[in-house]
Amino acid sequence: MPSEGGLLDRFVDWLPTTLFFKRAASWILVPYWAHKTPVKPLPGGPHPSFEHGDNVQCMMNLIMPLKVKSPIGRAEAALAIAQNKDAIYAGLNNVGTVHFARFVIVGDNICMFSVYDGDFTNYIRDFIATIGSVFNAVVALVEDGEDVTPCEKNVDAFIQWIHERDLYQVPDTATDFLRDQEALNGDTAMSGNHDDLTLLPRKLVLQLRANPNVSLGNGYRAYPGFSAAQVRERLELGW
Amino acid sequence: MSAMVKLADLQGNILRGYTKKPHVRYLILEVANPAAARRWLAASTSGRSDGVPQITSGDWGASKPDTCFNIGLTYEGLRTLGTPSASLEMFPNEFIEGMTARALKLGDVGPSAPETWPAPFNEPKRIHLIATIYAEQPEQLNDVQKRALADTSAVTLVGTREGYSFPDDRVHFGYRDNIMQPRFEGVHDADRYADGQPKAPLGTVLLGYRTNLEGLRWRVPEPEELGHNGTFNAFRVLKQDVAGFEAYLDQAADELLKQPQAVGELLPPGAEAKIGKVFSIEGVTPRSALREVVAANLCGRWRDGTPLALSADVPDPELVKAANFDYVGESRCPFGAHIRRSNPRGGKIVQRVANNSRRLVRRGVPYGPAYDRTQPRQLEPERGLLGNFIGANLGAQFEAMSCDWLNLGLQDPRLTGSNDALTGANGTDSSWFDLPLKSGSTIRLRGLPRFVSTQGGAYAFLPSLRAIRYLGSLTT
Amino acid sequence: MVDASVSQRLVQAIIDNLPKPVPGQRPVHTLGIGVEGKFVASDVARTYCIAEHFNGTPVDASVRFSNGLGGPDRHDGWSDVRGMATRFHLSNGLASDLIGTTLGEFFVRNVDDFFEFSKIAKLAPYKKECWLQKIRDLLQLKFPPRNPYPGETESVDAGALRYADLHRFAQLGVFQVGLIGAPVSYVRAAYHAAHTFWVTAPDGVRRPVRFSWQPVAGVCNTDPKKAPRDDYLREELRERLQRWPARFMLMMMIGEAGDALDDCTKPWPGTRTRIAMGTLTLTKVADNQEEAGERISFNPNRLAPGIDPSEDPILKARLGAYEVSREMRGGCPFKWRPDNAK
Repeated sequence: MPSEGGLLDRFVDWLPTTLFFKRAASWILVPYWAHKTPVKPLPGGPHPSFEHGDNVQCMMNLIMPLKVKSPIGRAEAALAIAQNKDAIYAGLNNVGTVHFARFVIVGDNICMFSVYDGDFTNYIRDFIATIGSVFNAVVALVEDGEDVTPCEKNVDAFIQWIHERDLYQVPDTATDFLRDQEALNGDTAMSGNHDDLTLLPRKLVLQLRANPNVSLGNGYRAYPGFSAAQVRERLELGW
Repeated sequence: MSAMVKLADLQGNILRGYTKKPHVRYLILEVANPAAARRWLAASTSGRSDGVPQITSGDWGASKPDTCFNIGLTYEGLRTLGTPSASLEMFPNEFIEGMTARALKLGDVGPSAPETWPAPFNEPKRIHLIATIYAEQPEQLNDVQKRALADTSAVTLVGTREGYSFPDDRVHFGYRDNIMQPRFEGVHDADRYADGQPKAPLGTVLLGYRTNLEGLRWRVPEPEELGHNGTFNAFRVLKQDVAGFEAYLDQAADELLKQPQAVGELLPPGAEAKIGKVFSIEGVTPRSALREVVAANLCGRWRDGTPLALSADVPDPELVKAANFDYVGESRCPFGAHIRRSNPRGGKIVQRVANNSRRLVRRGVPYGPAYDRTQPRQLEPERGLLGNFIGANLGAQFEAMSCDWLNLGLQDPRLTGSNDALTGANGTDSSWFDLPLKSGSTIRLRGLPRFVSTQGGAYAFLPSLRAIRYLGSLTT
Repeated sequence: MVDASVSQRLVQAIIDNLPKPVPGQRPVHTLGIGVEGKFVASDVARTYCIAEHFNGTPVDASVRFSNGLGGPDRHDGWSDVRGMATRFHLSNGLASDLIGTTLGEFFVRNVDDFFEFSKIAKLAPYKKECWLQKIRDLLQLKFPPRNPYPGETESVDAGALRYADLHRFAQLGVFQVGLIGAPVSYVRAAYHAAHTFWVTAPDGVRRPVRFSWQPVAGVCNTDPKKAPRDDYLREELRERLQRWPARFMLMMMIGEAGDALDDCTKPWPGTRTRIAMGTLTLTKVADNQEEAGERISFNPNRLAPGIDPSEDPILKARLGAYEVSREMRGGCPFKWRPDNAK
């Protein structure tokens, strides 16, 4: 809204929209407040839930920084996926709980985005059993990947490693991310006497400093509530 | 092959059911003083017959023990005893976090939520050790308990749970239980009969061996003597609402009676009389027979033990302990039957790679008095099952079975979105169960209430005897 | 059943917080416009709900769009909650009402909360924050409060914020109100019924559901950087409907066991099964606005057989409060289904 009032008033209203202010705030204010009011990184993946609808069509947004940050590193990753296409498709068909899955290179990251049904650890574990060799080939190209390969011999550590690289899913409703922060800090109170809702922007800024990559919301679904096998069954495609 | 595993190094309750010892008591213990507790552990494997009860191993030699005594350690227990942190870190996440942190995966919500658990399970950090006593006579339990608790500087009793096996292996809902357990590669099973399933690799139940998932090995916490031949146990106190269950059978039978065609298919000529005879129902009616039909379908076995996969229309006294069946082709066992949901055997499931990979050793004993349908009480005493679900990886077996199969029904698109009808977190508004008819169609039963609720439990590590000696010898 | 005196007090609490009294008019959502249309259920609607308007036969619908603000002053361009009350006209003179607003979640859970809210969120003088304080806010990376609109001297914003700082359940609703903006058209906003209802299917199965209207034309707000206009929504709607009908899709989410069934401050996740229940086509602004925009009176508890209210205490309180308010302003009474009346 256009503001009235004096020159100073107008200046102050205009200031935050300027690139200068945003840069200065990023360099000075954000580190300052991050130091004063530290924020822990929030865990990745779908929010734990018992409800059925929350346990189908779960989103995985896996971001893995490549070791070799150059066209060579990216080409290595592209080749690793291309060479293993048969293995990946056979694995997906037999794990049976995946709606969509794709590999993407963004910057110097190899990313895997998928929509799967059921529990995350079961999903990854079943995949280790079927396409562990592909995981090993891809993860070998990724920073810190050697710590958890071969995945078949490091099942729990590998699942944990993947989980740590799965993006935090910012809740669809703005204030729910405050609830995530509170839960991480063990604060489960229904009412907070010291809450300050006007601090939401700062909390968000600091959270995005702790979790630089996030999924915004947990994604739209055209037909929520159904597993991949249910869709295949109802479309008479066999499962 | 039996040379593969040294039974004398295993705790006996892993591969043996102790079926001749119907009295079971669980001592929930907190370490009082770590050094004294380590001495207590060392004494439990010392071979001396006085003092701390001796851990029963898997190798009984020539003489059967009078009583059996076994222990499981929680993560807090291992930590308190002074297990090196490098070793502690090698334990799997779910064990480190403990059962209460895994409530959503296990369906411990609402009336099963850990926040509602009574003592001692309301203070999971104080549960360090769960000792189990098995005996033929109840007084033997007291005797062993006294010896176990004699040294008050070692361990403090924070709670007990006690169960008693009913005759014929019956459990509270009236089913025959303890019919089968996995058979393992490399373990002699002379008195076992065919169970229609491949032998499970030892890695299903012990750390240090190959598992059912090709190429996968679970990490064995080091040093080797700590982890090797150990396994994990999900101990669960499962309260059963028997009155509610019986009332539901009435309700479902009444619903079915409204559908004459279904009644005709569910009770073919002669079935009613046969069911009446097997279950000694006086003056059997279609309604009382249908109650048993519903009970059979919810479980996958008639209450006398006959599997529906082998005899769907009537119970068969010849088949009460039968286990040699599979769910291939046109099995008449409902997809949603409890035994099929928890172990789909070789049947078609969505996650094909998971076939046979989530098997567990189950050891359960009922607690609380048997329910008497003829004399219902105003306020029924609490009763249920003290269950042990044993496997080398709780995440890959017990939890995977619980969350994906029992709670979500992911293994079959015709089940997805329904809870396990017998044990799940049912809500009367949303629960459903598809009862298959001979003609191939199904009847959907609805309004199932929650029959089972969790009232406590803990994840425990069942260390080998070598590991117990190792823990007993730790110095800090 | 909420006590009659409580209903009175609820309405009074709202009236007491108004800048100007509005005798003979609605205390909030005062300014509205009545529209006529037809609702046609989707092919699947009848398999989820036996209510008459979901059986596939087109039914007449009366809709009243409104600005949330109480009082006689028209401020279409202010950031404000908008209402869309719909009456489905059924046979035998019965009706089913569905009241939605652009606010997905409410900010109080029950009547007691509401009374506390109305104590804390009192109408108070609203001034532009001075530049020095704004600088302080910026240094703290805070939201400075919005500048008042021209002519805006009082607001409940500060009190509502205070209330939300005390009560986490209120934060989502209050935060959303703060960002809600002004639609370019009444038919370019999504409206949510917020409460849970139970629908009965032909096989007797009852499901907990929440309804939302999704505008086919899409959601579109005015540019908040531009000066707000006070009076454009009525004319926009008239012109639009003269050219072409406007449509809304009725979406119904099915709740699960752990979802908030009786608490309208809690959203349901987007992972819930969502059923397209039908399309509402609005054809014209009603000729008689006194009748269709003023005297018409809705109640979220007036429901066709096949739809039932949940135990949501706010929904229950609205039953009596809407009737009290209707009587106070001489609103037109309407027939209730016998077992659903207050």
